[in-house]
Amino acid sequence: MTNLTSLNYLQPELILTATILLMIVVDLFYSAKKSRRIGLWALAGLVLAFIYITVSGFNIPTALFLGSISSDPFGIFFKVLILLATIMTILVSFSERDLSNQRVGEYYILLVIVTLGLFFMVSATDLIMVYLSIEVVSIMSFVLAGYLRGNRRSSEASLKYVIYGAFSSGIMLFGLSILFGLTGSTNFFDIRTGLMELQNGADLALMLSTVLIFAGLGYKISAVPFHYWTPDVYEGAPTSITAFLSVAPKAAGMALIIRFFNSILGGEGVFTELEWGTFSAIPWTQLLAVLAAVTMTVGNLIALRQTSVKRMLAYSSIAHAGYMMMALPVLSQQGVYGIMIYAVFYLLMNLGAFYVVMIIANATGQEDYDQFRGLGHKAPLLAILMTLFMFSLTGIPPTAGFIGKFYLFAAVIKAGPSFYWLAIIGALNSVISLYYYMYVVKTMFFTQEKTSITQIEFKGISILVIVLAIPTLIFGIYWTPIADIVHKSLAIFIR
Amino acid sequence: MYLEFGTVLAFTILGIILLMVALWLQKLLAPSNPSKLKQSTYECGEEPEGSAWVQFNIRFYIIALVFLIFDVEVVFLFPWAVVFRELGWLAMVEMGIFLVILLVGLAYVWRKGDLDWVKLNMKNARGRYRRFAEDPNSNKNF
Amino acid sequence: MDQLQTYLIIGAVLFCLGLYGVITRRNAIAILMGVELILNSANVNFVAFARFGGMNMSGQIFALFVIIMAAAEAAVALAIIINIYHLYHSINVDEPSELKL
Repeated sequence: MTNLTSLNYLQPELILTATILLMIVVDLFYSAKKSRRIGLWALAGLVLAFIYITVSGFNIPTALFLGSISSDPFGIFFKVLILLATIMTILVSFSERDLSNQRVGEYYILLVIVTLGLFFMVSATDLIMVYLSIEVVSIMSFVLAGYLRGNRRSSEASLKYVIYGAFSSGIMLFGLSILFGLTGSTNFFDIRTGLMELQNGADLALMLSTVLIFAGLGYKISAVPFHYWTPDVYEGAPTSITAFLSVAPKAAGMALIIRFFNSILGGEGVFTELEWGTFSAIPWTQLLAVLAAVTMTVGNLIALRQTSVKRMLAYSSIAHAGYMMMALPVLSQQGVYGIMIYAVFYLLMNLGAFYVVMIIANATGQEDYDQFRGLGHKAPLLAILMTLFMFSLTGIPPTAGFIGKFYLFAAVIKAGPSFYWLAIIGALNSVISLYYYMYVVKTMFFTQEKTSITQIEFKGISILVIVLAIPTLIFGIYWTPIADIVHKSLAIFIR
Repeated sequence: MYLEFGTVLAFTILGIILLMVALWLQKLLAPSNPSKLKQSTYECGEEPEGSAWVQFNIRFYIIALVFLIFDVEVVFLFPWAVVFRELGWLAMVEMGIFLVILLVGLAYVWRKGDLDWVKLNMKNARGRYRRFAEDPNSNKNF
Repeated sequence: MDQLQTYLIIGAVLFCLGLYGVITRRNAIAILMGVELILNSANVNFVAFARFGGMNMSGQIFALFVIIMAAAEAAVALAIIINIYHLYHSINVDEPSELKL
């Protein structure tokens, strides 16, 4: 489709772009105190884009801008998810204590730019677009992580983030250049055609480029061994940003990985009910399976010995990336289905857990386990909600997390005996995670009071936690609507 | 086509040879009598003071960064100029939008006072300048 | 020697130098320089493939985008490093270590 007609399909992105420009200009005329209002502008733009996406419903997969991006239900599903995460992030940012005594106009502007980058990330079908969108998201995230400039922890987080981010995107770029050289195109589908005509001698180069590219993609979803930045950045960044980073870029990264491997290294299988073909020449599925197993194991084992709940959640988010990756190498529609459902539920429960930590941090200034001691007596409702999120993250019924994990494991087991080992490792990891999630519950209810919280005000962020908790519980019992939506979204653009 | 570059190459080689000969000649003819004073760094005739590794004003850095960003963005104009005739008015409009977005960036930098050498407009200042914004009389640090 | 090969070797050497720089240096600026080398090694590859591989222009366009992204990334990274210098009076990446196990 040509550039001009493509614009029709790009209206959500255009709305976001206009919002960003408007916000920049408006913020110039706001004083430091008034610049909080920029958050409202951001909210308006995001809600507008959200309404537009859900109402317009472009259901037919189409290639836009001469094939550099595509519009399809798969992408729209993730865009809705990302919008929800951003809207919630902006809502909680209004009551984030760390942000209250400085200028915050740029904070909201950067958040919307990240959202725009994520939009392109989930719909990219061209190597240039892949690189551009990843860089846009990364660079804005570096700034957001270090937004508290005078804060040593926040600055350290952004330093580590920028070094790891720049390094891994550089490595990915080198891999992309090899892939381009092998096939002579930057378009996903031309690359696949090119790879099919490739002689056997190029296997090594293809393997090398796949590994290098996965360094960049794996960094985005914080897969081991590209995860070293995750705990430090998650701990140092403002909590609202941590919650956002642990959900939105991760979902977009998963979408990009699915699209990339499906369009380039897979056949046309997954989304057309056929078997997902693969180049047998390079063992990329085995590689992914091993990475998934290592990712969840490392994440869970290190999460065991944390003293800060925020840092524990950071490591647990690595483990959850591992669970989602588990369903990638099975190369089936069911695997992608599982990942998409899990992404929805993970958004609910992880944001919820982080927001509870944020309430505690707002009230006490700390995120340690000590502040959770005896929370069950001081603020019973909050403790019960946290317990719900912990149950869900572990995957205990009747919570949404259980349903998500169920679909993931079902996909892995259905793929045949060659993947049983992966399912077993996944199950063992769930048991490990049970320990540290339940430790939070135990700390809240069965230890002596030590928390310095006196009373939790019932406003803003607390309401949001309840809003997140209700679906976490309900979808654990009645998840058909989500399953239906995901099922309808299982259509990807294929040329 | 390569023939034209041959001339350039000849000039380059000739230039290097001439320079080498001149330097070699002066080394051969001139008397060499170094002393400590002669070998010290020239600082406008004054005695050199301190190290050359001094901290520059941070303003240099900000101006350099702003220049770098806008300078590099202009790279997009080159491929655009190549295909401009084929694409016609559509390309013109697209580039116009691109430049408007750049202008918003420029307006941002301007309004934040980063184009001024001395920050005068402190209304929206943040960071170290904020104290000054709240109380313009406390300009001890500037 | 085939001309394309020459450029690919240059690209690979640049990549290895950049990798070496990033891994061995402690100074944040030196690490960034290593990253720039990696980015430029990819650029050499892109342009060489586009020029000698009988391929379309997209390689050269890719290189343009990489140059711009590299500039933006360097600007943000330098700003962050300056901020670190203000707080720690050092740009050694080992120095800030408040976020540890």
